[in-house]
Amino acid sequence: MTTFPTADQLRSIDERHQVFCERLEDPLALDQGTFHFSAKDNLCSRGFQARAGSRILKGYRPPFDATPIRKLRESGGLLLGKTNMDEFGFGTFSTNSGFGVPRNPFDPERSCGGSSGGAAAAASLIPQHVALGVSTGGSISCPAAFCGVIGLTPTYGRVSRWGLIDYGNSLDKVGLLTRTARDLERYLPVISGPDPKDPTSLTQPVLDMRGEVETVAVPDEALVGLSPEVAASFREALKELERNGVKVREVKMPSLRYAIPAYYILATSEASTNLARYCGMRFGAMNQEFDQGFNDFFAQTRSEDFGPEAKRRILLGTFSRMVGFRNRYYMKALQVRQLIIREYRRVFDSCDAVLTPTMPFVAPRFDEIARMRPLEMYQADFLTVPPNLAGMPHLSLPCGYSHGMPVGMQAVTPQWTEGSLVGLARFWEEEFHYRFPEVMV
Amino acid sequence: MKIGLEIHVQLPTRSKLFCGCSTAGETPNSSVCPTCLGLPGSRPFLNRQALEMGVLIAKFLNCKIADRVWFARKTYFYPDLPKNFQITQYDSPLGTDGHFTVGGRSIGIWRVHIEEDPGRIRRVGRSGEEVALVDYDRSGIPLVEIVTAPDMSSPAEARDFLTDLIIELRRLIGVTGEEQTMRVDANISVGEERVEIKNITGMRNVEKGLKSEVNRQTKMLAAGKRIVRETRHFDEERGVTMPGREKEFEEDYGYIGEPDLGTYRIGPLAASMAIPETPLVRAARLSKEWRMGDQAARQIVLTDWALADMFEILAAKVGGEAAMSWTMGPLSSSWKDLRGRLLDLKGGIVDIVVSVASGEMTDSEGRMRISALSSGKEAEAPGENEGDLDAIIVQLVDEHPEVVKDYQGNERAANFLIGQVMKAMRGKYSSKVVAERMKKELEKRV
Repeated sequence: MTTFPTADQLRSIDERHQVFCERLEDPLALDQGTFHFSAKDNLCSRGFQARAGSRILKGYRPPFDATPIRKLRESGGLLLGKTNMDEFGFGTFSTNSGFGVPRNPFDPERSCGGSSGGAAAAASLIPQHVALGVSTGGSISCPAAFCGVIGLTPTYGRVSRWGLIDYGNSLDKVGLLTRTARDLERYLPVISGPDPKDPTSLTQPVLDMRGEVETVAVPDEALVGLSPEVAASFREALKELERNGVKVREVKMPSLRYAIPAYYILATSEASTNLARYCGMRFGAMNQEFDQGFNDFFAQTRSEDFGPEAKRRILLGTFSRMVGFRNRYYMKALQVRQLIIREYRRVFDSCDAVLTPTMPFVAPRFDEIARMRPLEMYQADFLTVPPNLAGMPHLSLPCGYSHGMPVGMQAVTPQWTEGSLVGLARFWEEEFHYRFPEVMV
Repeated sequence: MKIGLEIHVQLPTRSKLFCGCSTAGETPNSSVCPTCLGLPGSRPFLNRQALEMGVLIAKFLNCKIADRVWFARKTYFYPDLPKNFQITQYDSPLGTDGHFTVGGRSIGIWRVHIEEDPGRIRRVGRSGEEVALVDYDRSGIPLVEIVTAPDMSSPAEARDFLTDLIIELRRLIGVTGEEQTMRVDANISVGEERVEIKNITGMRNVEKGLKSEVNRQTKMLAAGKRIVRETRHFDEERGVTMPGREKEFEEDYGYIGEPDLGTYRIGPLAASMAIPETPLVRAARLSKEWRMGDQAARQIVLTDWALADMFEILAAKVGGEAAMSWTMGPLSSSWKDLRGRLLDLKGGIVDIVVSVASGEMTDSEGRMRISALSSGKEAEAPGENEGDLDAIIVQLVDEHPEVVKDYQGNERAANFLIGQVMKAMRGKYSSKVVAERMKKELEKRV
């Protein structure tokens, strides 16, 4: 059954649009040290629904602010709204949301990337805007690359996850999507720092915003399976770096190819436990028969309100945790994760950063996405997943344009060296001319 | 017959295991926050005090303490479990391979770990129109779980185990010791197959439940029937165990590490911990040190810790036997009054007991004085009444010239008169004092 919006609903959408535009156009506000920001829909905030792109959380209004939102608000930020995303972060194209699909600002027939698709679109469209995104396996890098903006994913533990609706807790990180290095420099320190409400944030060293990238390592493994236009843009960017005195080294990182299977096992194992709470007791529509056993009731709610990708990942994660499979999958994936961390450390002995393209192709069209099989979609993350498994900070920067669509490159540096990444962004901005989409009002 | 127990005891912390909520909720759902409600985006932060209490218990139970521990998610769906997983410890318990001695027998302890309690469901309304209400005040209450080896051989022994355990834990970490603070799963096998009775509250019910299960299993075996491996529930009102509702299968909780909590190094913590002396350990020491019966020692210690302190002070001065009879006699009978003012009275009590022991005061005089201390009135000092004593002695000696005569040849003749004086004075003066005065008086007449 299709429902059409009522006149009241249309009026309220229009009012929201008006307020949004007024706030954006108020130069006075921005002059007084205030700024506007948006937050991915899986970050909780008072006064807004937090649905994490899932129908099962429709109408849920959290009674508290996520720490990064609280910190931005306290430093003068105005939360404009929540940005659309793949359900619970499950996706690479933001096509798995329960609430519509965000469109790429460079081409509305193409994806914004995922899962922080809405965040990247906002950063791309609105000047001087800072968008809070979240990455588990590349959900900041990917949309940043597809929408032609800068996406910074800090070290795991740098930014408190209090108030972040969990996907895979040991991988989730809150980060920033912006147009300029200056905004990274300004807002990263604001959202960083220990928070007693998130034990994993407590042991971080002080954020040092100084740092440079003088030598980059380019793993062979990263250069296979790229579309020709991405390969060409990336090669051009490497030349540009070398012209500016950056040393480029070819390295081998063979364990990177195990990252995808290890990631999907760990992330879904954790996700399947995180999503267990959505069962119709306190979240999810309660329009089922109450006169049944609780297991049947829970199953019915979950069948109706989770999207297909969420169900796929719950099943995968539950399977990996079961007795008999646990050692073969979950425990093995933990070992692979250690292997990858060691491999990065080895490379960092002689280089400041590992540099690769961000995504193997430019933002695909929705009809192309519809033809992709789940495994193909998962494979698209093969360059963004490794630094996420290792908990290393990484940055995606626009490095070229192919038929008008941005191409991204991704730099990974050792833990807690976000400063080097910001330094790289600042330097690159001077050498490379970014383009932003024109918006017709 | 083999019995093994899985015991959950509430740790007496002021706040919950993974959040700052109070453990003393007054009305339903009055002590809850995003974390213990499992709201999306909330996460746990460990209550250090609960961890320390758990480690102390593991150490007290002679366990091998893990150097590092972490937490696990145990996933199952239940309406009172807010996150539909419970944070517990799976592959890294605080301690393993310990033991606890009950009635001279050592019972193996397989493991000790801490975990959070789920909420509580209350069913209300008439049958057929029942509704289930959920109270999350208990959600996140810290529990310690102690798993024993199947080393107990009777329901009574299981009850003794629990009784002694709670006595020790009360002193060790201050558990309240009420029956409700303990929830037990009891495993019992009379023949080959094992049956688990789930979720019994209180020690008395554990014994009752086990007894009824022994009966049932014995009867079945006698009738040549096979016992099925199953989970049963104890119906407190009818006093029998009933088959559990859930189907019988090996539950798979899909344990994974709890990623929000890190690894905790408890090795050094455990090494630096001193275990305070617990009541039963103290009773064992007292009975050994002062050669008294186990029951007597246990009784002193369990009556009141301070009474046992008093005993030890007295025993050091007058020996175990005398200290015991004073402690269990006059002191414990007026203990209610003495206890509150012990700081002021302790010296006086010691003086009295020592005086009696050295013969300077009679036993009944001592008792009288202690009862006077307890009622707040000082007994009259012996010195003031010396006139009375002398008067009686003089009178008696006057009345019995034949004793004076005999005394010249045999000093023991005085004993008759001493006895008379003691009788007349109703034990107010010690025989030593009376004897001295008597001797003095008789010497005068010689």
